[in-house]
Amino acid sequence: MKVSVIVNGAPVAADVEDRTLLVHFLRDHLGLTGTHWGCDTSNCGTCVVWMDGEPVKSCTVLAAMAGGRDVRTVEGLEQNGVLDPVQQGFTECHGLQCGFCTPGMMMTARALLDREPNPSEGEIREAISGQICRCTGYATIVRSIQWAAAREAAAAVEDDVADAELTGASATAGSVSGEAS
Amino acid sequence: MTAAEDRKAQVFEDNDHKPVGHGRMLRKEDPRFLRGKGHYVDDVQLPGMLHLAILRSPVAHARIVNIDTTAAEAHPKVKAVVTGAALAEQGLAWMPTLSNDVQAVLATDKVRFQGQEVAFVVAEDRYAARDALELIDVEYDILDPVIDARHALDPSAPVIRDDLEGKTNNHCFDWETGDKAATDAVFAAAPVVVVQDMVYPRVHPAPMETCGAVADYERIDGKLTLWSTTQAPHAHRTLYAIVAGLPEHKIRVISPDIGGGFGGKVPIYPGYVCAIVASIVTGKPVKWMEDRSENLISTGFARDYVMRGEIAATTEGKILAIRTDVLADHGAFNAAATPVKYPAGFFGVFTGSYDIEAAFCKVTAVYTNKAPGGVAYACSIRITEAVYLVERLVNCLADELEMDPTELRIKNFIQPEQFPYTTKTGWVYDSGNYEPTMREAMRIAEYDELRVSRPRGARAAS
Repeated sequence: MKVSVIVNGAPVAADVEDRTLLVHFLRDHLGLTGTHWGCDTSNCGTCVVWMDGEPVKSCTVLAAMAGGRDVRTVEGLEQNGVLDPVQQGFTECHGLQCGFCTPGMMMTARALLDREPNPSEGEIREAISGQICRCTGYATIVRSIQWAAAREAAAAVEDDVADAELTGASATAGSVSGEAS
Repeated sequence: MTAAEDRKAQVFEDNDHKPVGHGRMLRKEDPRFLRGKGHYVDDVQLPGMLHLAILRSPVAHARIVNIDTTAAEAHPKVKAVVTGAALAEQGLAWMPTLSNDVQAVLATDKVRFQGQEVAFVVAEDRYAARDALELIDVEYDILDPVIDARHALDPSAPVIRDDLEGKTNNHCFDWETGDKAATDAVFAAAPVVVVQDMVYPRVHPAPMETCGAVADYERIDGKLTLWSTTQAPHAHRTLYAIVAGLPEHKIRVISPDIGGGFGGKVPIYPGYVCAIVASIVTGKPVKWMEDRSENLISTGFARDYVMRGEIAATTEGKILAIRTDVLADHGAFNAAATPVKYPAGFFGVFTGSYDIEAAFCKVTAVYTNKAPGGVAYACSIRITEAVYLVERLVNCLADELEMDPTELRIKNFIQPEQFPYTTKTGWVYDSGNYEPTMREAMRIAEYDELRVSRPRGARAAS
């Protein structure tokens, strides 16, 4: 069957067997090998990608189910040559060792921060509870995600300051920067 | 601020002022891993590459009566179906292990553990290869399995390794270290003796990436290139040269990015050899990538020691001697990837950090109908088992003497002026200063507070 999907913003189409899993469609048909195959039973989370903005485990999603949808993979995190704050956080805080679980971890983390820009440690741990890492012991992964959240909060303040300077309303920016430091 | 929080703050505050090796360091591999551009074995795609899947035994112990591959061979996408019998014709059905045993590449006579490799299929894609596995019909004559190492040496136990000439039981090896007579004498005269049985169950390293390989054999110049999930590419190359009969300089083993190993990717698994054979047979590059279930049921494990520990001491808490008897479950083949000359690895360090008069241990290894192996985790090689044994014994002794276990440990540590110190099992410790280290650990763990909030015996009572 023919499957047409938007992957990382670009439309792609391929002829695949009906039973083709999304993870194999991405890896074997599109050559996007950043998404990994770890357990094929939805347990390990290394295959997490986004479908219409929601993280899904691509080892238990058929490529056909992604037809007409917007899929985003780890290869789409970097924008215009700039790493996503989540990617920066993982390298700054040693959130990865062998790197095998990292793509899924980062996609889940990005989705969490989009939904909740300032998550508590408990919320981070709950968000990644469907992912397994065998190297780091999770503490550094949690720290990496916290780093990304703090970086984005600081950037938001800078944006607010810039906006405020443009509009002359500097009083608002002062209160925001107090929270985010 | 608690001591633990204080410590955490120190670790992250002055990172840039720390000496090399003590702070955060950016890693060379991160830029590609972060962008999804790692090079793991399953990422390797070669022109014309075929896919291999392995048929595994559904039972722990059975004689193979017949294997019918006709239907699998008729599958339109299948390029080859290979059984143990076909490998035996080429002398490839068995391979040496890193522990001086042999292991079946594909079963010929019997299957000896659930998950053992029985046949493989090479097909145009990974789905077709797996489809064809279901078309292979194997007739098994099921035998009683040996699952519990404690019954492996029973006279009534079925003999697992009847492939070994003259084998009439499931004994694998014996190994001793220390001075038995001296240790027995100390025990006979000791005022306090504590005995504790401990079962340290089998664990699996379970790396995120399962095992796999891409084999590319070039028929014209006889060169083999193998991308494989190995932590020991040089040792693997030597074995492939022996098994495949290729000269070592014509084999290139590439160990690309590895998705975790923890020692479980040191052994040589039949799947790697199957991929090589498949590439030689078909003349095409062949990829084999096992799934999670295959990884868990067939690859190397750790622990699986049944230990009886004994500790002798004075009534004041001076430890005199330690004695232990271990039953080691090595599964169906002794495929432990132990890079030491001792069959039980570094278990001889079981005297720990204590200055004692005598020590002795005996390890008896047996075959069972379980996955082969014996050591995983590079950081262990049986040290974990040894440390567990001695520290558990010291805790049991502390209970018996109604002493605080830290006090008992500090009382028995090897003293700084005793280094270099030769243990009673022959290991030379070059240096150490255990008491300050222990006291620092107690400070960080807030030991005194823990003792108040969780008094002795509280855990057992709760």
